[in-house]
Amino acid sequence: MPSLLKAMNSQVGRKIMTGITGVALMLFLIGHLAGNLSIFGSADAFNIYTKTLMDLGPLLYVIEAALAFLFLYHTVLGVSIWLKKRKARPQSYDTYKTKGGPSHQSLASRSMIISGSVIFIFLILHIIHFKFGAEYTTMIDGVEARDLRQLVLEEFQKTWVVIAYVFVLALTILHLSHGFWSAFTSLGMKNQNRSKKIQMTAYAFAIILMLAFIFIPLYIYFTGGQGSLITY
Amino acid sequence: MKLDAKIPDGPLEQKWSRHKKEMKLVAPNNKRKYEVIVVGTGLAGGAAAASMAELGYKVKSFCIQDSARRAHSIAAQGGINAAKNYPNDGDSIWRLFYDTIKGGDYRSREANVYRLAEVANEIIDQAVAQGVPFAREYSGLLDNRSFGGAQVSRTFYARGQTGQQLLLGAYQAMMRQVYEGNVEYFPRHEMLDVVVIDGKARGIISRDLVTGELMRFEADAVVLATGGYGNVFYLSTNAKNSNVTAAWRAYKRGALFANPCFVQVHPTCIPVSGDYQSKLTLMSESLRNDGRVWVPREKGDKRHPNDIPEEERYYYLEERYPSFGNLVPRDVASRNAKMVCDEGLGVGETGLAVYLDFRDAIKRDGLESIKARYGNLFDMYENIAGENPYKQPMRIFPAVHYTMGGLWVDYNLMTNIPGLFATGEANFSDHGANRLGASALMQGLSDGYFVLPATIGNYLADEKPGTRYGTDHEAFVQVEKEAQEQIDRLLNVNGKRTIIDFHRTLGKIVWDKIGISRNKEDLESAIKEIQELREEFWKDVYVPGEKNNYNKYLEFAGRVADFFELAELMAKDALDREESCGCHLRDEYQTEEGEALRNDKDFAYVSAWEFKGLNGKLETELHKENLEFEFVELKQRSYK
Amino acid sequence: MSKEMTIHLKYWKQNGPSDPGHFEERTLDTVNEHMSFLEMLDVLNEELQLDGIDPLEFDYDCREGICGSCNLVINGQAHGPKDKTACCQLHMRNYKDGDKITIEPPRAAAFPVIKDLVVDRSAFDRIIEAGGYISVKTGSAQEANATPIEKEASDASFDYATCIGCGACVAACPNASASLFTGAKIAHLNHVPQGELERTKRVVAMVDQMKEEGFGDCSNFAECEAVCPVGISISAIAEMRRDYVKAVIS
Ligand SMILES: Cc1cc2nc3c(=O)[nH]c(=O)nc-3n(C[C@H](O)[C@H](O)[C@H](O)COP(=O)(O)OP(=O)(O)OC[C@H]3O[C@@H](n4cnc5c(N)ncnc54)[C@H](O)[C@@H]3O)c2cc1C
Ligand code: HEM
Ligand code: HEM
Ligand code: SF4
Ligand code: F3S
Ligand code: FES
Repeated sequence: MPSLLKAMNSQVGRKIMTGITGVALMLFLIGHLAGNLSIFGSADAFNIYTKTLMDLGPLLYVIEAALAFLFLYHTVLGVSIWLKKRKARPQSYDTYKTKGGPSHQSLASRSMIISGSVIFIFLILHIIHFKFGAEYTTMIDGVEARDLRQLVLEEFQKTWVVIAYVFVLALTILHLSHGFWSAFTSLGMKNQNRSKKIQMTAYAFAIILMLAFIFIPLYIYFTGGQGSLITY
Repeated sequence: MKLDAKIPDGPLEQKWSRHKKEMKLVAPNNKRKYEVIVVGTGLAGGAAAASMAELGYKVKSFCIQDSARRAHSIAAQGGINAAKNYPNDGDSIWRLFYDTIKGGDYRSREANVYRLAEVANEIIDQAVAQGVPFAREYSGLLDNRSFGGAQVSRTFYARGQTGQQLLLGAYQAMMRQVYEGNVEYFPRHEMLDVVVIDGKARGIISRDLVTGELMRFEADAVVLATGGYGNVFYLSTNAKNSNVTAAWRAYKRGALFANPCFVQVHPTCIPVSGDYQSKLTLMSESLRNDGRVWVPREKGDKRHPNDIPEEERYYYLEERYPSFGNLVPRDVASRNAKMVCDEGLGVGETGLAVYLDFRDAIKRDGLESIKARYGNLFDMYENIAGENPYKQPMRIFPAVHYTMGGLWVDYNLMTNIPGLFATGEANFSDHGANRLGASALMQGLSDGYFVLPATIGNYLADEKPGTRYGTDHEAFVQVEKEAQEQIDRLLNVNGKRTIIDFHRTLGKIVWDKIGISRNKEDLESAIKEIQELREEFWKDVYVPGEKNNYNKYLEFAGRVADFFELAELMAKDALDREESCGCHLRDEYQTEEGEALRNDKDFAYVSAWEFKGLNGKLETELHKENLEFEFVELKQRSYK
Repeated sequence: MSKEMTIHLKYWKQNGPSDPGHFEERTLDTVNEHMSFLEMLDVLNEELQLDGIDPLEFDYDCREGICGSCNLVINGQAHGPKDKTACCQLHMRNYKDGDKITIEPPRAAAFPVIKDLVVDRSAFDRIIEAGGYISVKTGSAQEANATPIEKEASDASFDYATCIGCGACVAACPNASASLFTGAKIAHLNHVPQGELERTKRVVAMVDQMKEEGFGDCSNFAECEAVCPVGISISAIAEMRRDYVKAVIS
């Protein structure tokens, strides 16, 4: 049988890995959303959440490294699939049209590389923005901790930041509406009878998840961080 | 020339097994010193290449298409026979043998046909082991159906794509040997001639259809598995690339061509709709299991078929042949369709069609079960004819389908040129004057998997292993030169009429005069017309393009040129055979009821024609192989 | 009576792999609605020849939708607009008077153009060669009914086995991937018990060969299923992946 390395580099292996990393990233997003939503909880909830993470110490680095690896691996695969396809069809058609029916060619599926690339750029900026952003401090249970909540609330007062976030998050809907369904097929779980249901679930998942994300900057922006959800 | 069919002695049931025991063998370590050229990758060629390579011979495989998997065998729909007797309905090897001999109207060899019936069972085993997904019952066991002219259920099938599935089995087996390095594979190559040295076939000249280059290949034996010549009619159910070239060039190098006039016309095809028509599409005759054939009783009844009441419908097959009804053999069904149309009862725009009606079957078994059985055929019909056969009867008409004639071979499938073998539809061997449904696949695979791989050893054992004359031998040089000259000649005519135009005109002559029924007067005038048209062809044909490039029209031109010569031989053969038998109906020789009237006293022979020259007309010499019937009694066929 | 139409054709001409190729145009005035698409091209070629112009080369053989020779890309769709229909079975009644039709060859690095619309699909043969079979020597098979096969399994196997090897899946796939073709053969053989023994070896060898030939990866666009003339489902691709994982794990 092929060595694991060779297998992961085969056309099937690569696709399975995009699927696995994609699903892992979706799980991360769910977790990240849950964490982010705590900003609407009690005054300290969000900072307690981030502090708990910080307190993991070296373990956090391991998790972060794993996360970075996931993102990078997923990105490398996505980009390489895209590059290979250009090599596999050096001359494009004069006229090209999808035949519809069972085809999953759509704005979403065709723009995976674009939505993905935007997400990637966003990620870098996002991490610089928050993780390495201004250091406010606050006290939690008598211990000094970083006040990320303050940073988030402040940043989302800026119109351009909110617009940028909403734009990227909307693009992520696109990415996931194909990605969710696609991952099922990549992982060998495609089944003629279920395919429609999976696609519907994918749309629902992508829209609900990302609307929840989008809700955060919009709400903060329009309530000036003073809305009733946000209790001081 | 004395024709020796080399039929082994002994009781019919033991001939093949005894022959296998007695044949000479090639030692395993010597096998790889022998090279065998197999031209054609249909069931016959594909199976043979795979099986011989498995035995250890070095095989070179050629086909015209871009892949071996596309050989014309792929199109067979209905099924393949074998006397497994799974349904327990009284079938046996003997009965399959008997039906085939009788179906062929006693114009085939008993020994060959018996062997075919015997080997058939193994074919099914082989195909199943290769993963061919035959139809199955809920028990998980293989399903059978009854098929054209058989009173037992012995036809194995894979929906309407039996030929495809069997061919893919053979193709895959062959590709395995390509991978192993035992088969060298030359797709998009057309064999243009065979090279004979010291009276033995030693190689071929082929044309690389992509570059146009002529190439020489040497081997210890050459197998032609190049299919039938139905395309001489221009319109037929054969694939567009089917042709007679390989067999014809062998004929011109001295191989005998047997029974060229035996051409089967299939009763259930979609009728012609216009001049532009390039081929005819067959509807599997399994449709006749449930469909009822009829025409209006009144001449010129232009009503919609659904509006014609029961009593005004003429179910002519059921009325004329009460015991077989719609399941009479192909020739009987075709002839009757032509007869009712000649009487003016034909339907459709052209009046050249009869109805095949499923109304009653749908009522009896339900729409779903008819759909399950014939769904893809119905869809195909609707797509082509633009009418829905669930709602109104199909229109069908006979079309040329299969050629029983072909290169003469002995019991070992060897032609009269030592080292030159012919298998599958390309030979004449097993179907006599008419082929039963589902038995061409059986013959192709029996030849390819089981017979040839055994009998070729018997020939090779006497050949010194590794004998090579080299492709610089003058015979190779000479044959290649002739092939090149023919190509140049075609390109240089530079006339005004297109190849298709000529082919269509030739086809019409052959269909009208050497078609479903023939008579002396027509045949004689056909010969004249063919000769004249042939002359014109060589004066006025336009062959476009270059020779050193992919050029399909140049390929066609060569094939049409050969059809022009073959057509004349068909007419001569039909003229010689002053009797009716099987599909060969001479108007002069019929019973009062219009049935074929055989003359066993004077015509129980295989006509084997030898080429003597071509000088405006085809010069030939006829050799007769007398058919002896030791085991069956010759009966007038009756399907009443 | 049948209708005649005027059809404007724009088709690809390329005189060999190294020629860059170009489009040519011609209008046909006598296209009959009952003609098949390829018969329409026959008519085009007759006209071209009578004008002393080299005819347009395209591949075909059976003209019944079963041999898989034909593979034109018509107005940007492999095999044209009709569902589950090879272009040789596409009839002109699907078009209307005055339509403009663009015809291109399948475009893929793994399918180099031989001439005009004729391409070299031998890559498919090599994928089969790599493992698309059950290794059973002639004559060594057991009695056919010795191993019953569930009807469902056998039917499923058949559904995948009907692939005609036309390459439309590659032509239509935005990535020029051969996954549907390869998956179909793997699924065909893996659904019957006879195929079990070589299951893992087969999938690995065929998947490797696919890459070797320069086809693209599969991004699950499912366009291949949409154009496949026999309607092979991309479940075949999913099965190929499942089998591949099993092969790696084992
Ligand atoms: C529509 C249709 C349906 C049929 N249905 C049935 C059925 O249900 N049951 C049944 O038993 N029979 C059926 N038949 C008949 C049967 O399919 C054929 O008789 C049989 O498949 C012939 O197989 P073959 O191997 O002899 O030749 P083919 O399959 O015709 O193969 C010929 C091969 O020779 C090659 N070739 C030819 N000339 C050359 C050359 N000069 N150089 C190089 N290569 C060459 C071709 O490329 C091809 O590979 C049907 C036939 C048709 C037309
Ligand atoms: C939150 C982050 C992300 C999530 C949740 C995510 C999720 C997914 C999922 C589930 C898939 C489907 C996998 C499959 O078909 O098997 C996918 C595919 C893809 N992703 Fe992402 N992705 C993310 C980020 C990115 C990034 C940063 C890129 C960078 C370019 C990217 C590029 C792609 C591409 C190109 C594909 C299509 C792969 C193909 O063509 O087969 N994605 N993604
Ligand atoms: C409204 C939307 C979002 C908000 C409010 C938000 C908020 C934050 C904050 C506050 C951090 C810093 C956490 C820390 O340093 O511990 C962070 C980190 C991060 N975010 Fe987001 N985020 C949002 C959307 C996203 C999206 C869409 C993605 C993925 C595509 C993403 C990926 C990440 C990653 C990878 C980190 C770094 C995690 C780490 O290193 O621990 N975020 N986010
Ligand atoms: S999977 Fe479909 S489209 Fe692809 S080669 Fe097979 S039949 Fe053609
Ligand atoms: S269209 Fe192409 S991307 Fe995959 S699902 Fe089909 S091979
Ligand atoms: S020509 Fe055979 S499938 Fe179209």
